Amino acid sequence: MSLRGAAAIIGIAELPTQRATPGRSSLGLMGDAARIAVHDAHLRKEDIDGLITEGGTVYPGLVSEYLGLRPRFASGASMMGASGATATTLAAMAVQNGLANNVLVVIGSARNNAIPEAGAGPTGIATELDATVGTAAGAGTGYAMMYKKHMELYGTTQEQLAHVAANQRFNTLENPNSAFQGQPISVEDVMASRYVNYPLRLLECVMPCGGAAAIVVTSADRAKASHNKPVYILGSGVGTDPQTAWQRPVITETPVARSAPIAFEMSGYTPRDIQFAEFYDCYTILVSMCLEDSGLVQKGEIGPFFASTDTTYKGAFPINTDGGQLSSGQPNLAGGFRHVVEGARQIMGRAETRQVARNDLCLVNG
Amino acid sequence: MTSEYKKPLPRPTINPEVSQPFWEGTKKHELWLQYCLNHNGHFFYPREVCPVCLAPQERLVWQQVPAKGRVHSYTTVYQPALPAFAEEAPFIHALIELDAGARIVGNVVGLSREEVEGNALELNQPVEAVFEDVTDEWTLVKWQRVDG
Repeated sequence: MSLRGAAAIIGIAELPTQRATPGRSSLGLMGDAARIAVHDAHLRKEDIDGLITEGGTVYPGLVSEYLGLRPRFASGASMMGASGATATTLAAMAVQNGLANNVLVVIGSARNNAIPEAGAGPTGIATELDATVGTAAGAGTGYAMMYKKHMELYGTTQEQLAHVAANQRFNTLENPNSAFQGQPISVEDVMASRYVNYPLRLLECVMPCGGAAAIVVTSADRAKASHNKPVYILGSGVGTDPQTAWQRPVITETPVARSAPIAFEMSGYTPRDIQFAEFYDCYTILVSMCLEDSGLVQKGEIGPFFASTDTTYKGAFPINTDGGQLSSGQPNLAGGFRHVVEGARQIMGRAETRQVARNDLCLVNG
Repeated sequence: MTSEYKKPLPRPTINPEVSQPFWEGTKKHELWLQYCLNHNGHFFYPREVCPVCLAPQERLVWQQVPAKGRVHSYTTVYQPALPAFAEEAPFIHALIELDAGARIVGNVVGLSREEVEGNALELNQPVEAVFEDVTDEWTLVKWQRVDG
């Protein structure tokens, strides 16, 4: 038994990613995204019988209460940035196994405080040790240490990875949902931006934002009658690693090294078949390592790849066609979910000015 | 020194009892790690089960280890996430591979401003611990370069 082709995304929604969402709550934003996704799927609210949310902070009971839903299947998918892609996988499993017919996945985060109080929230080794040496949860220190190690091991240069930020910025220029719409940057601009955590420069880091996204997943049978072109889920793998970067045995490797092979085997395709990719990108180095670990690029070769490949939506191998999080902003827990939505949007052929030419097969890493 | 220290002090939250020997060790200017009698190896941070083989607490003992290691990787922090560190920036935040075979994060000190900004610290650089008594209660571990 496999997930291959058992379920499809038939409706999508994405609210504009914004630096601040004054007057809005996370539940309120999720409500807007849910309404748009259900409408986009040409379904009624009553047709939704499954609900998956991020679950860690805004759990399914709260969301079903706020939205007046009474699902017969509900779950959280508390996987931080990967919650959206994980939830998409859970939704496919649910419809395949008859736990629900139409699953709404909705994740959103308001952002009303200018800067959250660093170090106040986390527990564990973050407060016991990390805070005493000058870092905090969510800070780029862990990713910067990965970057430095990657440079040492593979000869990766900062200029090579500056292409990640510049290319994604090109992709977002006409994206109305992006916080950086119409604000181009060049490789030189990236290299000239100040250091946050050497070797990471400012323009290689995401900007924290608010926003929300939603999809509707249904069975392959029901998807045949869909108004939208169904986006079939052909394979999936879900891995994780120690939350604290320095607790990972190999800091230049991501869980994608374990999840991608499962997804490929399930799908019957190989990395060579993939036409475009939507990949989690909190920092240039992270999206780079994930692309390597997925098999799309050989390990250690990501620097030369970005220096020689046009990864814009017009290019030979488009990556993060809406600008990703680096160039759209990171709507907190919905950040990784945006990649699922953009992948589906491209396959549906609804990406308008940034539509990729070959849009049959996408690899998403949430 | 006691009342002057403005930066975060260790705040053990998973289980303060379990990590107490580590911090008692630093107060004596010693590095103590948990050792697993099942798989015969050190690990860090302190836990109630071994993260390598899931051995129970009864199989975990504390051992003093040489306070030496090498720089596995590092970052130079220009924009600290914690405001209390703002005056110190830029500073080095490193991942240290201990000779005893576990990893720990800490600041590498003793570099000039020019060395810090010129990324002069090299990976695999041998380092040794410097114990800093920041209050009467707490002693932090920092690291400085030594000849290999």
